[in-house]
Amino acid sequence: MQLDAKIPAGPLADKWPSYLRDSRLISPANRRQLTVIVVGSGLAGASAAATLAEQGYQVKNFCLQDSPRRGHSIAAQGGINGAKNYQNDGDSVFRLFQDTLKGGDFRAREANVYRLAELSGRIIDQAVAQGVPFARDYGGQLANRSFGGAQVSRTFYARGQTGQQLLLGAYGALLRQVKGGRVELYPRREMVELVVVEGQARGIITRNLLTGALERHAAQAVVLATGGYSNVYCLSTNAASSNASAIWRAHRQGAGFANPCFVQIHPTCIPVHGEHQAKLTLMSESLRNDGRVWVPLNPGDRRPPGEIPETERDYYLEHQYPAFGNLVPRDVASRSAKAQCDRGHGVGNTGRAVYLDFAEPLRRDGLATVRSKYGNLFEMYQRITGQNPLAEPMQIYPAVHYTMGGLWVDYQLMTTLPGLFALGEANFSDHGANRLGASGLMQGLADGYFILPATMGNYLAGVAAGATDPDAPEFAQAEANAAERTRRLLAIRGRRTSTDFHRELGHLLWDHCGLSRHRVGLEIARQRIPEIRAEFWQNLLVPGSGSDLNQALERAGRVADYLEFAELLVADALAREESCGCHLREEHQSGEHEPLRDDTNFAHVAVWEHRKDQAPLLHREALTFENVQPGRRDYR
Amino acid sequence: MTINLTLRIWRQPGPDAPGAFRTYQSGPLSTDLSFLEMLDLLNERLSLAGEEPVAFDHDCGEGICGTCGAVVNGRPHGPVERTTLCQLHLRHFNDGDTLIIEPFRARAFRIEKDLVVDRSALERIIQAGGYVSVNTGSAPEANTIPVPQPTAEAAMSSAECIGCGACVAACPNGAAMLFTGAKVSQLALLPQGQPERTRRALDMLRAMDGLGFGNCGNERECEAACPKSISIRNIARLNREFLRASFFSEEE
Amino acid sequence: MGWLGRTLNSSIGKKTVMAVTGLSLGLFVAAHLAGLTSIFRGRVAFAAYADRLHDLALLLRLGEIFLLVVFLLHITVGLLLFLENRRAKPIRYAVRNSASGQTWGSQTMPYTGLCLLLFLGYHLASFSLNDYAPIDVLLRESLAQPATGTFYLIALLALGLHLSHGLWSSLQSLGLSHPKYDQFLESGGVGISVFITTLFSLIPILALFWPGFLG
Repeated sequence: MQLDAKIPAGPLADKWPSYLRDSRLISPANRRQLTVIVVGSGLAGASAAATLAEQGYQVKNFCLQDSPRRGHSIAAQGGINGAKNYQNDGDSVFRLFQDTLKGGDFRAREANVYRLAELSGRIIDQAVAQGVPFARDYGGQLANRSFGGAQVSRTFYARGQTGQQLLLGAYGALLRQVKGGRVELYPRREMVELVVVEGQARGIITRNLLTGALERHAAQAVVLATGGYSNVYCLSTNAASSNASAIWRAHRQGAGFANPCFVQIHPTCIPVHGEHQAKLTLMSESLRNDGRVWVPLNPGDRRPPGEIPETERDYYLEHQYPAFGNLVPRDVASRSAKAQCDRGHGVGNTGRAVYLDFAEPLRRDGLATVRSKYGNLFEMYQRITGQNPLAEPMQIYPAVHYTMGGLWVDYQLMTTLPGLFALGEANFSDHGANRLGASGLMQGLADGYFILPATMGNYLAGVAAGATDPDAPEFAQAEANAAERTRRLLAIRGRRTSTDFHRELGHLLWDHCGLSRHRVGLEIARQRIPEIRAEFWQNLLVPGSGSDLNQALERAGRVADYLEFAELLVADALAREESCGCHLREEHQSGEHEPLRDDTNFAHVAVWEHRKDQAPLLHREALTFENVQPGRRDYR
Repeated sequence: MTINLTLRIWRQPGPDAPGAFRTYQSGPLSTDLSFLEMLDLLNERLSLAGEEPVAFDHDCGEGICGTCGAVVNGRPHGPVERTTLCQLHLRHFNDGDTLIIEPFRARAFRIEKDLVVDRSALERIIQAGGYVSVNTGSAPEANTIPVPQPTAEAAMSSAECIGCGACVAACPNGAAMLFTGAKVSQLALLPQGQPERTRRALDMLRAMDGLGFGNCGNERECEAACPKSISIRNIARLNREFLRASFFSEEE
Repeated sequence: MGWLGRTLNSSIGKKTVMAVTGLSLGLFVAAHLAGLTSIFRGRVAFAAYADRLHDLALLLRLGEIFLLVVFLLHITVGLLLFLENRRAKPIRYAVRNSASGQTWGSQTMPYTGLCLLLFLGYHLASFSLNDYAPIDVLLRESLAQPATGTFYLIALLALGLHLSHGLWSSLQSLGLSHPKYDQFLESGGVGISVFITTLFSLIPILALFWPGFLG
């Protein structure tokens, strides 16, 4: 496996312009002859599919949901960063670049991150032109708010539904191309195989989720915009259908997988209430602007919060991190909460929660002010828990939220498999070891609206014209493989549902490869995963048949992939003998429990190559920093 | 706290197969469970007993993706206001209650299986013109298009629609006027939507008419059932936009 | 189909026809009521009103033709909408449970409409097309009969229900809505229907219970 990031030479600010200048072009008449498959219809997928179609390519867009408008980007609440400097507070492309690189703990490529910052403003322009109703100031200009990890206000937002509004903008652009005949939509389709012809990605096999039929789709290039793999943990803030199968299938066909162990765990989620919980709910980080985090000073204190006097409360973030207090970054806040609960200070029915208290801001600012800032979030909390945060403190606990790892891509967003591109959360590219708030939407749209449409032409210009033949033996083979998998899943007729296996895997990963990791625990997980997988293939129960809508079968296929992918996740966590960003190895921290990054040995992207019947092979892409000197993150 | 419920659920094997209610006893359920987690539990039990689980659509669990939806005791998304099915919790029910659970019903929504329906008709309405035609890269600098704050807020209130189809399900006539009105309104309010304003109103309304939806009777059930409280003022605006486009513009 | 045909044949077009014809009929009802208030001033005043009306024969004829057209449009399009709406919801829910948007008036529109149609037939047959006696005598004698009087009261209740939704609904269909005035429009619609129904109902009630009615 060759890792060539193909980063253009020259100064940072010239790299993208020079790439565009040197790209090959395809005449409009020829573009019509070229088909591109885009899997996924979230921000990255929808924006890419729409823009490629605007350029004149024929596009086939696939999604699992009943409509492309439902990709999980829709659930993003907070906002999207754009280096516009509208607030005249000293923001610039370079500053956004710097913040993002530092936020990612120097585990991302300078060139990629700079390009992201460079494009951030144009994303805002595009969204506004589409009619995305961003918040406005009284004068009619765009409003901004500040967000974690930045000292400037550069976040654009549409109430608490920024992701929804941006996605609906991209969805509108997509449907416009559907009407124009350039995009064909394939909803309720799951990509079950990637088809590689002569070393190039040339198509996919999909399963029609309504009829169970396997379908062959051929193209000149395949784009995966299928999101992250948080759901490998079973419980996460991701949507139920978010899954790793598309990128995992691609990995098995030869696409390198980068940094799988970089998993972001969000501190302010509603705690788990019981074994049968289906998913976790995230609440905006902005709550920590006013809320104070605390636990009872005495372990095992079971009194209701109101009966615990001030002297017996521990506002642990405020005294451990006096400089940042309750506003420490996500990874620090998450780990501290877990540490408190591990030491028996946890609250709630399960003992796996800490308090987030609004009593002081209520006293200080009054009910009206607090409600105007957080009313929506309080309402959501009450809807789910039945408790009123104005009367008693909220209970929060960290939950898996976003995955920075993903398919390795070069500067052109192409994976190690020629003709296969990965966008948005599905690739590893821009967030390093930790993503800053309001950057996920930015990356998905930069990839989809601007980067891929510019690099796709460069690739396709070198591809021999002429249609790919869906009757080629490679397609037949891939389809047969998919059919065989379905048959095997249905034929086991064991005694445990896939959900049951998924839960077991999730617990294992959360315990040993979650907020903090240690060699001992990781080894336990590494040993246990193949055992669970073996039982899965012997004792799985999938009711129903493969020839109609069978949601249990869909889930089983995804869990089967998680059971393979989880091993890679753990292997990567074991191999990365340092603490960086959200990856904390307990062996690698200072005496005061501060993470220790190791730039001498681990300033690289870990890229895994799949090998049949052998352990995956680790390749390294070295990261060099010419424009920002890696510094230590210290929030005390 | 735990409660026991009797569940009468619409089971239908496929679009053309006949459907019928089947009754299940829930067994003890924690009131902290969400409605969909209750269905998960039921499905786990049915699977282990060798029966087909109940098919139902859901995804984000946060009331924003618009995937989930069923009619519980005659109400789309259940009895709690401004709440999607995925955010409905069992604490709103009492021990011994019977819940009648049906799919969204309307001619325009074909039943695929059990509680799963085909809402692609809504997509075709948007496809007819629910967007601003601006190619990537051709957008002007964002702040060159000022939008008065009240206008932006009003547009946002219309844009909040999650496309779940509860309005159609709740409408005694199976009309999609609230859905269509919300999108037409959002873009009619904003300056970005002006160039296509006339065309959009004509095209989207005609698309809607051709998809098997009923006619608006101004009964306000859509507004009451909408998990995002989208106002029927959006319908009035759609009426206005369409009449204006039909009678006072040169486009046909 | 030309643009006008396409417009009128659309869902909003049909609703517009219903709104415009409905409001016209509402105006007629109001005018009719205004004329009939002469009843409360006694037999002489009422007879004088009837005579004045007859003097306007040509105008009256034209008005009647106009009304007939409006009526036919309202009924035809209403029936069309009713049938289309039933088709759009082929299977009803096992339990009906309004989310509180509906009112008695809105739920019963087609039925109160039908009721009014039946009433109209009877009403025209007994008064407009019947001239064996002076109008005041006719009115007194027929309404004083318990069956007829009750029938009138029921029909007026239907009218009230129909108007209680119809007036506001017509404005909404025509796109008349504004955050500042919506509340007025809605309660105004209900208020006017209550007022009209009450005033109209006084006539059969007086005929039924007051022997000196139009005496």
